[in-house]
Amino acid sequence: MALNRKIAYINLTTGEIETKPIPLEIRKMFLGGRGLDMYLMYNHIKPGIDPLGPDNVALVSAGLLVGTLASASARTHVAGKSPLTGFVGSTNMGGFFAPEMRWAGFDHLVIKGKAEKPVYLWIHNGEIEIRDGSSIWGKTVQETQEIIREELGDSDVKILTIGIAGENLVRYANVMTELKNAGGRSGMGALLGSKNLKAIAARGTMDIKIAHPSEALEYNRKIIRQITSAKVSQTQGRLGTNFIWGATNTQGLVRVRNFQLNQLEDSDDIEPEKLDEFNIGMTGCFGCQVHCRGKYIIPSGPYAGVYAEGPEYTSIGAWAGEPGCRNPLTILVGNHLVNSYGLDTLETGSMIAWAMELYEEGILTSKDTDGLDLRFGNDEAVIEMVHRIANRKGLGDILAEGPLRAAKKIGKNSIKYSIQVKGMSNLHSDERPTPALALGIATGSRGSDHLRSRPAIDLYHLPEPVLRKIYSQPVPYDGPLSSDYRDYEGKPWQVFWHEMCYEAVDCLGICKYHTTFLGATLPNFEEWSKLLYYNTGLEMSPLDIWTVAERCYNIERLFNIREGLTRKDDWLSDRYFDEPTTVGIPGVRNKTLDREKFKKMIDEYYEHHGWDENGVPRPETLRRLGIDKEPSHML
Amino acid sequence: MNQETTSESIAKGRTLGAFRCLNCFVRISPPKGATTYKCPHCGFEWRVSWPLPDLPRIRGPVWEVNRRLAEEAIAKKKKGKK
Amino acid sequence: MQKMLVVDYEKCTGCRLCELVCAVKHEGVSNPLRARIHIVKWEMKGIMVPMICNQCESAPCISVCPTNARTRDEEQRKVNVDYDKCIGCKMCIVACPFGAVSFDPFASRIISCDLCDGDPRCADFCETGALRYVEASQSNKQRQREAAEKLYESMRKFTAAYTG
Repeated sequence: MALNRKIAYINLTTGEIETKPIPLEIRKMFLGGRGLDMYLMYNHIKPGIDPLGPDNVALVSAGLLVGTLASASARTHVAGKSPLTGFVGSTNMGGFFAPEMRWAGFDHLVIKGKAEKPVYLWIHNGEIEIRDGSSIWGKTVQETQEIIREELGDSDVKILTIGIAGENLVRYANVMTELKNAGGRSGMGALLGSKNLKAIAARGTMDIKIAHPSEALEYNRKIIRQITSAKVSQTQGRLGTNFIWGATNTQGLVRVRNFQLNQLEDSDDIEPEKLDEFNIGMTGCFGCQVHCRGKYIIPSGPYAGVYAEGPEYTSIGAWAGEPGCRNPLTILVGNHLVNSYGLDTLETGSMIAWAMELYEEGILTSKDTDGLDLRFGNDEAVIEMVHRIANRKGLGDILAEGPLRAAKKIGKNSIKYSIQVKGMSNLHSDERPTPALALGIATGSRGSDHLRSRPAIDLYHLPEPVLRKIYSQPVPYDGPLSSDYRDYEGKPWQVFWHEMCYEAVDCLGICKYHTTFLGATLPNFEEWSKLLYYNTGLEMSPLDIWTVAERCYNIERLFNIREGLTRKDDWLSDRYFDEPTTVGIPGVRNKTLDREKFKKMIDEYYEHHGWDENGVPRPETLRRLGIDKEPSHML
Repeated sequence: MNQETTSESIAKGRTLGAFRCLNCFVRISPPKGATTYKCPHCGFEWRVSWPLPDLPRIRGPVWEVNRRLAEEAIAKKKKGKK
Repeated sequence: MQKMLVVDYEKCTGCRLCELVCAVKHEGVSNPLRARIHIVKWEMKGIMVPMICNQCESAPCISVCPTNARTRDEEQRKVNVDYDKCIGCKMCIVACPFGAVSFDPFASRIISCDLCDGDPRCADFCETGALRYVEASQSNKQRQREAAEKLYESMRKFTAAYTG
């Protein structure tokens, strides 16, 4: 059954491999995926270690509902101490790897030590083998997978791999699977690279028994309809996630020229409908009927004829908005390159845009760029910088270190221009007019990121009764709620609620697009309770699932605090408070965040969590969640 | 299985063929197939696209106003430096 | 009226929900090996092709079956298997030109699509239209219409170009 998948401890230094069952009591506490990874991370990683040294631990897992009849139950989670931030490293990606790992018998891998030479893991029906990786070292993400399939003689093998960026320890390198499923943010690719672990190949044919098969079938049929009938899913199935960039740019909620404008005006050439002209069809992840991923062939230039998938909305931000470019080809090529190198598109785009502003300000000169004209709007320079970062050449070597280390090397107050939190660059969005979204990126456990807690439906101006319905379950809430995204009131609760929503869904291994992320009518705790029961037999109420999420999020907080995080780290760049927005719809012009109000929001957010004014979980909170004795080393 | 969840109950209030004006947030229904539409409430003009025949989407604003503002902002910044 | 399962390869997004649904419906488990349908993929080229029993009118699997376990069901227009007669010789696997018959090592038996006895769940779940269970007379209609539309479009352009 879905609960009998094992955990494997793999020591790359010694070659030892040990497998164990995962006790039911631990499942009930942490479910699986990100939640259990966070528990393992807190228990297996010693405080203060070098994230790129052999003491760091790479955790690879599948969510508890992966491979079952829970729509889009496809997600792989990878965790460890982040080489980028030094705090929680955590990434989640779709595709087909996680289901395959489960069919091969495993839910969690705990990878320790460092291999002497490049290796890859081969997981096959309950067995794990460490294999020589010399034939794949130095290869792109796509080449690596083709070579491994050839070597293992099975075209159905699914592979999680790093690219050249991961090998070169770019601190925001991705783990990847298939053509473009990207485990981005927080540099888990560099973590694997530091262990000389190029890839993990999985293939399995072991049954995952469904607890109540006919009910699971009927319920899944119903829930797919619930998902695909949502307008947001239909738009996404047609235009991909690009529509998100279109909608936010229309309002003026995106970063342009690093952080100088909040809208890319005259952007007709790169808006979703225009990019759709390059689309040759849609594809998607395991078990998903939304199919939000576009397929395209690069139409011209040095990469003409290359088949690629995407781009996603973050790529429009990275290759158009942030560097101030308006060429669709730059987006198509940039997207292809980061997916081949295994680079985080968000971080790469942000780092380049930051360097462009430094160049404009004279902090970086053409001497630093080896003659490259790094001005805003220079498409060729943007693409060239991707190559330099992945291969750590010239300025690329400095930018590969992430914002904090790079700013230290560059000096001259360059940090002032960086839009980052906890050492992770923000995605392409501009949160000055949206306090709720700003609070989300300021407090996110892995840094400046939207997938920890972004209440994106806050942008929809939903009527208060609808908000009330959503946000007062599964735990009651009778505080303020506001339909206006420019307000500060009630937003901390929304951020807290979405934090729990995304943590829970990451434990289950379902895609966030199938939750109350972009659509108010999409599933959350109540639906997951049923999915858990029909598929695994586990009886957990919506509130039980919420409590698991709270437990896991508190462990993330404990990990960060152990690594030195303080309240000061839950804060944004001064530019959010000092430089007003200039463009966009009238309602978002001339906006800054208010420091005092923002501080109060953080207080309130801590209070919802049961944390003290310094953001430290109170002893009674930890007791209530049963994690006051961590690390407990149950696994 | 049959008990209605919160999300399902919210789905009952779904409106087809409409979107919220991104300026005044009133729900408006452009005529089918329209490529531009002026919000009848606030007068803001939008470019409209139709991902599906009965699913309209705001494609973007009509740019002139925004372009002027962006140019002013960049000019002001450059002036401040000199 | 007789129905048939129609596959539109161009519409498949490769999600493999059909495999999952098939295995759960027939075996109560998630395991693509035990599904009667498979998506064959060229991942790096973005090509996905659903492969399933075509319920051949003159089926090689029936011809080679030494025990007459495989028979033609004229009513549902499909191939039936009588597991009491089947000796598991796997000749049908060899004979099938589409690789649509397979062996389930867990149950130690031959498996191929049985159209879920007239309600194929794969088609029911496939919202992309890649798998549809339709009246036999309608089997080619949608494809024909789409092709005709393309033809019409190119003829219109041709005429416009020459008549100004």
